[in-house]
Amino acid sequence: MRLVKAEVVKLLTTNTWWLFALGAFVTWMATFALNATVAHFTMGASTPEGASAEDAANLAVVGDQIYQAANLYTSGQLFGLLFVVLLGIVMVTSEFYHQTVTSTFLTTPHRTAVISAKLIVAGFAGLLFWVVTTGLNIPATMIFLQAENLPTHLGDADVLRAILLNGLAYVLWGIFGVGIGVLIRSQVAATVTAVLAYLLGTALIGVLFTLLAGWLDQDWIEKIQYGLPSVASSLMVAGRNLPNQPDYWVGAVVLIVWAVVTGTIGTLITRKRDIS
Amino acid sequence: MSDGQIVVSGLTKRYKNLLAVDGLSFTVQPGRVTGFLGPNGAGKTTTLRMLLNLVTPTAGTATIGGRRYADLADPMRTVGAVLEASSAHRGRTGRNHLRVLCAAAGLPTHRADDVLELVGLTPAAKRKFKGYSLGMRQRLGIAAAMLGDPRVLMLDEPANGLDPEGIRWMRGFLQSLAQQGRTVLVSSHLLSEMELLADDVVIIAAGKLIRQGPVGEVLASMTTTAHVRVRTPQVDALTAALSGLPGAGVTARPDGTLLVTGVEAPAIGKAALAGGVELHELTPERPDLEGVFLELTAGKAGIR
Repeated sequence: MRLVKAEVVKLLTTNTWWLFALGAFVTWMATFALNATVAHFTMGASTPEGASAEDAANLAVVGDQIYQAANLYTSGQLFGLLFVVLLGIVMVTSEFYHQTVTSTFLTTPHRTAVISAKLIVAGFAGLLFWVVTTGLNIPATMIFLQAENLPTHLGDADVLRAILLNGLAYVLWGIFGVGIGVLIRSQVAATVTAVLAYLLGTALIGVLFTLLAGWLDQDWIEKIQYGLPSVASSLMVAGRNLPNQPDYWVGAVVLIVWAVVTGTIGTLITRKRDIS
Repeated sequence: MSDGQIVVSGLTKRYKNLLAVDGLSFTVQPGRVTGFLGPNGAGKTTTLRMLLNLVTPTAGTATIGGRRYADLADPMRTVGAVLEASSAHRGRTGRNHLRVLCAAAGLPTHRADDVLELVGLTPAAKRKFKGYSLGMRQRLGIAAAMLGDPRVLMLDEPANGLDPEGIRWMRGFLQSLAQQGRTVLVSSHLLSEMELLADDVVIIAAGKLIRQGPVGEVLASMTTTAHVRVRTPQVDALTAALSGLPGAGVTARPDGTLLVTGVEAPAIGKAALAGGVELHELTPERPDLEGVFLELTAGKAGIR
């Protein structure tokens, strides 16, 4: 508990946390505005055409609405998660960068306990980022949907699931950040790796695997991309399952595995490492 | 519980192609300031870091009060260490740096202010670390080491970057800690400093123990040849008078005195009297630690 408190004090006594929080807030505003604009033009644009297919068309509209609502309620995820993973990374790498790791390990020779405290605090910081973002998303989305004369869908099971799993994603990315930090001690290298893997990873690798799968005519290759943390987390928070995609829980499992594996390997390395 | 003896036994650290510390054994007693001396690259820092569980030894043990650092129930209340001056987050204030350590060690927050007062850093408590001078950083390091009021202090090159006033302060501070019965181990490559500060010395070179013991004894054990400073208006006559003594060597110094080696002062006086030579000064010179040190570590210091 002492160590958790120490990590919290560490986090609150430098500028990192509020700069990242500010970054997350600004990018949240931008993405919410973008999501709302997209939702405005996609929802309600589709009107039922044939009376015979009326029911099906209605379902499609509702489905579309729920997908959009879930998307709106989880706005800011893309950059929010990025800031959370960077926060986790900085919690570890700044100790090496500023050589405070020496006094940290002098105070607590049990290094596993130190890393564990960091994992807990990073996960909790992720949770807080989610709480604040969701606290902004819920009223903003409700106002937007009511302005569009649409139901808020807040009580809808799929929407609730998306919101809660979004929270899990924030926690797991915080933990994952600490894992990356202990594996790549260099502040610059860890940050650059994470940003590239996260942003480019999502877009480029998805395309790459799809192309590769098509070219080699092997469907399973396309599935590999869901093993990547960024793809897995967007899979996890999707409001509903899209065709040809694994279920949302697969994304959750993949992300948990990443967080556990990086955290464990990093801790084992740190236990043995000479600090000089 | 009050025993703060440091025991290093057969301590060895091998890096890929470098034997940094080679079967090193020595003890450090409480109530005394012990100087840990050696040329740069001798393995001092590696040894201290092995004592503190920061570096894992290849072989051997290092204990404080009979326990390995990692096995201490409350390390901050037992051992205080100052390793390098620049070990705080640049954007954190000195006081907050200490508060982080207090939180981790389960010490009350007010200890941060207590130790800042102790090292005279209170006026800079709320300033960020990046605005600290090197001397202030050293003081902050000492403040951090004193947080748990430990009975054992270890400092790695604490004089580095300090101005003469800071060095004088440090000397008084460390000596007062030793007088309180604490164990104080200070590494340095500056021997003149240790001569003023230390009660005991442990001298190492190339990772091996060269000599350990009280400063006076180590010096005495090294007086292999007598050095006597002689001042006389009749240089030639004295040189002639001394030529009859076996082993005597005379060297003229730039300040006009003569350095006589190989014979003791009484023998020189006797020879001068017999030769009717007028003497203005006849002073046996005590070899300083610097000379002894260079003699002991000669040829072992090189770049490794």
